[in-house]
Amino acid sequence: MKNANWLGYIVFFALLAATPLLLDRYWVDVLNSVGLYLILALSLNIILGYAGMFHMGHAAFYAIGAYTTAIINTRYGIPVLWALPASGIAASLFALIVARPIIHLRGDYLLIVTIGMVEIVRIALINDVFGMTGGANGIFGISRPEIFGFRITQPIHFFYLIWFFAALTVLLFSLLENSRFGRALKYLKEDEVAAEGSGIHTARYKLAAFVLGAGWAGMCGTLFATKMTIISPESFNFWESVQLFMIVILGGSGSIPGVILGAFLVMGLPELFRDFANARLLIFGLALMVMMIVRPQGLLPARPRKYNLDSIRELS
Amino acid sequence: MGLWSLMEQFFQQLTNGLAVGGIYALIALGYTMVYGVLKLINFAHGDLFTIGAYLGLTLLTSLALNDYVGGFLGLFILAVMVMGLVGIIGILLERTAYRPLRQSPRLSAVVSALGASIFFQNAIMLIYGAKFYVYPQDLLPVVPINIFGLSIPLMRIIILLASVVMMIALYLFVQKTKIGTAIRAAAIDQGAARLMGIDVNFVIMIVFFIGPALGGAAGLMVGVYYGQINFTMGWIYGLKAFTAAILGGIGNIPGAMVGGLLLGVIEALGAAYISIAWKDAIAFFVLILILIVRPTGLLGERVAEKI
Amino acid sequence: MKKIVGWTAALCLLLAPGLFAADTVKIGLMGPMTGSWASEGQEMKQVVDLLADQYNQQGGVLGRKIEILTEDDGGDPRTASLAANRLATRGIIAVIGTYGSSITEASQNIYDEAAIVQIANGSTAIRLSEKGLKNFFRTCPRDDEQGKVATATIQKLGMKKIAILHDNTSYAKGLAEESRANLKAANVDVVFFDALTPGERDYNAILTKLKAANPDFVFFTGYYPEAGLLLRQKKEMGWDIPFMGGDAVNNPALVETAGAAAAEGFYFLSPPLPKDLDTAEAKSFVDAFTKKYGNVPKSIYPVLAGDGFRVIVEAIKKTESVEAEKLSAYLKSSLKGYPGLTGTLAFDDKGDRVGEVYRVYKVDSQGQFVLEP
Repeated sequence: MKNANWLGYIVFFALLAATPLLLDRYWVDVLNSVGLYLILALSLNIILGYAGMFHMGHAAFYAIGAYTTAIINTRYGIPVLWALPASGIAASLFALIVARPIIHLRGDYLLIVTIGMVEIVRIALINDVFGMTGGANGIFGISRPEIFGFRITQPIHFFYLIWFFAALTVLLFSLLENSRFGRALKYLKEDEVAAEGSGIHTARYKLAAFVLGAGWAGMCGTLFATKMTIISPESFNFWESVQLFMIVILGGSGSIPGVILGAFLVMGLPELFRDFANARLLIFGLALMVMMIVRPQGLLPARPRKYNLDSIRELS
Repeated sequence: MGLWSLMEQFFQQLTNGLAVGGIYALIALGYTMVYGVLKLINFAHGDLFTIGAYLGLTLLTSLALNDYVGGFLGLFILAVMVMGLVGIIGILLERTAYRPLRQSPRLSAVVSALGASIFFQNAIMLIYGAKFYVYPQDLLPVVPINIFGLSIPLMRIIILLASVVMMIALYLFVQKTKIGTAIRAAAIDQGAARLMGIDVNFVIMIVFFIGPALGGAAGLMVGVYYGQINFTMGWIYGLKAFTAAILGGIGNIPGAMVGGLLLGVIEALGAAYISIAWKDAIAFFVLILILIVRPTGLLGERVAEKI
Repeated sequence: MKKIVGWTAALCLLLAPGLFAADTVKIGLMGPMTGSWASEGQEMKQVVDLLADQYNQQGGVLGRKIEILTEDDGGDPRTASLAANRLATRGIIAVIGTYGSSITEASQNIYDEAAIVQIANGSTAIRLSEKGLKNFFRTCPRDDEQGKVATATIQKLGMKKIAILHDNTSYAKGLAEESRANLKAANVDVVFFDALTPGERDYNAILTKLKAANPDFVFFTGYYPEAGLLLRQKKEMGWDIPFMGGDAVNNPALVETAGAAAAEGFYFLSPPLPKDLDTAEAKSFVDAFTKKYGNVPKSIYPVLAGDGFRVIVEAIKKTESVEAEKLSAYLKSSLKGYPGLTGTLAFDDKGDRVGEVYRVYKVDSQGQFVLEP
């Protein structure tokens, strides 16, 4: 990774850390929303952006994480942040089970199957599956997180919690992008047959991408559950998945800076347009089309990886 | 409960499913047409369906069509007008939102389509308001048809017939006519088709007229039969029809028909014999099972897809 | 230096929009202006705007004009929490809304922490007022209240085998479960209990299954769009059986969808419509609404929002204060028998509306909603 990118991230997060001083609690809460969806979109980016699998059901993993947290917090009184790993693992396990038979599906067929998956999860939650999800009411009374005795309640507290997690996600996923694993996923996206020929076990890598992305989304579910203190099935419908999908594609598939920008636009624009009252979503839809037409590759597309030929020659 | 009444239940549910499936099939035909040529999932298709329903109502009340030519003829004229208008909107949509993205990554056009869907839905809300609209009830004579004790409303038979007729007409159009041949050629390879002297832009225009027109016709039928329309209804119908198109094998015209009817029947039987509340989950579950066994749908061709 | 002054001024403007505009009394309205329930939210705005205009023509309250700040909650909990935070930063003293229990719930804590009085208009889930929030009120009754009335009505009609159908929304399922428990306790058979999927058009499969369960009465606890379709399709399949709905079916669109012939004989529970109250308040409100918007209010929930708005204005007038603590105390202890648009208003210690609110309505052959004696 080039140093310029790192420098950009550091400046961005440093500036962002100062913004709550200038903003009222509403705008801080908008940024919280952006942060949550950024984390989710980055986890979707592994599946959709790097591995190139058409996945429009990411809210399912997010829901499983949020419900895992809610159930173990409200039933067993375990502090929410301790539930973080459990939520990640639950979502990963679910992904492992459901993704295995479907990852060989191509393109749009995979797309509809993932839509089906998110709908099945939502319907199961509404119908109070296993008698644990509270049906349409959802689960309420989820406790607020505590860090070293400090209780996080206000939007501004959540701002630092969420964006700390977002910064961590950006850091880890940047490293992942350039790792052997990340490069293998990108290869597989460009040409599956060639990747298979080069010794990449494509099915295993695709599954790994699903499990990793799902686990991360599950942990984000924990943050959402504790921020809202009440979760219900309608927070995890197909439309949430669509929004995440739009963030990744609009920003630039497979590009972390792109996903960051995408999250700000998709989550932020409808709020900026609040002054248009009932027309705010109309203008948002129009803006989406225009942005896509002006920048068909995404706003900040992933740049192809560059190799320094001289150093490779020296090696050989 | 005797055997006869169990049978009656079953067949009644089967006809319930076919009626719902007929609408799905009609919308799915439009999805499949567009997909076949552009490999684009037109997420705004469901909203074109809604526009059809609203235009139908507006034309019906403003032209007072029913006063001059009532019954079937009036409805037929109305359907032709609605299909023409929605088809034109489809062409405009392609020109503005999809054509600039034709050489771009496929998913970019999908996001543009989602933007168009949000735009249309909210435009309808702003123009007509958020309330539910209702079609006049006396459009068609109510003729309850009883076959072996099953009650089958006339409109259901019309919906099914219309779907089948349009499917066959579309199939013949694509298979037998010169334009149809051009459509098939463009579907296989746009570049090569252009080299053969086919005006690909014209072909795409035709496809974007027919697809949305069929969706608009379905919207009109839903309005006439079920009566109630509102601005969000296209989202659910669009999703179901997309499911149906995939189930049958997207890009395949008879596949859309089979997928639509099958989805309707699965839903009705799932509701009847398993659970109403889990109906949609059952339908998606069956879809996933079918795709695991046949990864390109029931009638889809097994071709390697370039992503 | 000039630059710094300019920036500071700009910053102040950004941070404290409320400071420079203290000449109005700001009341928030949170409702679904977009999304599936947009018709409710938009009518809520019409009602509250109309009432605010009326007060302002008479000089406002405390010698200040009333200003309504409207925010869209989209009928979605996450958007609602954003809308609530936005309103909370804009210097409102009270908020009216919203429609939908889980949507209201997502906003409750935010208003509570900001010490803003919240008066919900369409949030009937029991637990909302069981949390000990000091500044939460609602003008709509609770599910348990309606469940009791439903059971009493069914018993009065002498029905023995009941089918209950809900739509898996928080509200409808709550009412369905409440009613099922009450009916079982009263030894009335519940032969069918399931949920349809709202937003669809064809409910024939469900009706066919319902018919096979052979009930003598069907109680549908969901909303008017589905209720209208159920009645229409029931008639079409030639099934003659009495249906009853909960208060969410109270909308003329029900009869429009079903047609008067299919809707005839349909029972439903509801707080009384303004047209059925012979108080002067209700009459003049319906007249003014019709004059301004060209039709009578369609749904009862926007009218309940209007009542929420009127009691908060009353509280401000009487206490001559805009402090949440004083306003809440007044509403809970001093407001008694206030003549509202939907009947007399008073609140208990939890913030729930006191008094019998529900009436039984029946649709006549003209499609009119007639109050049952």
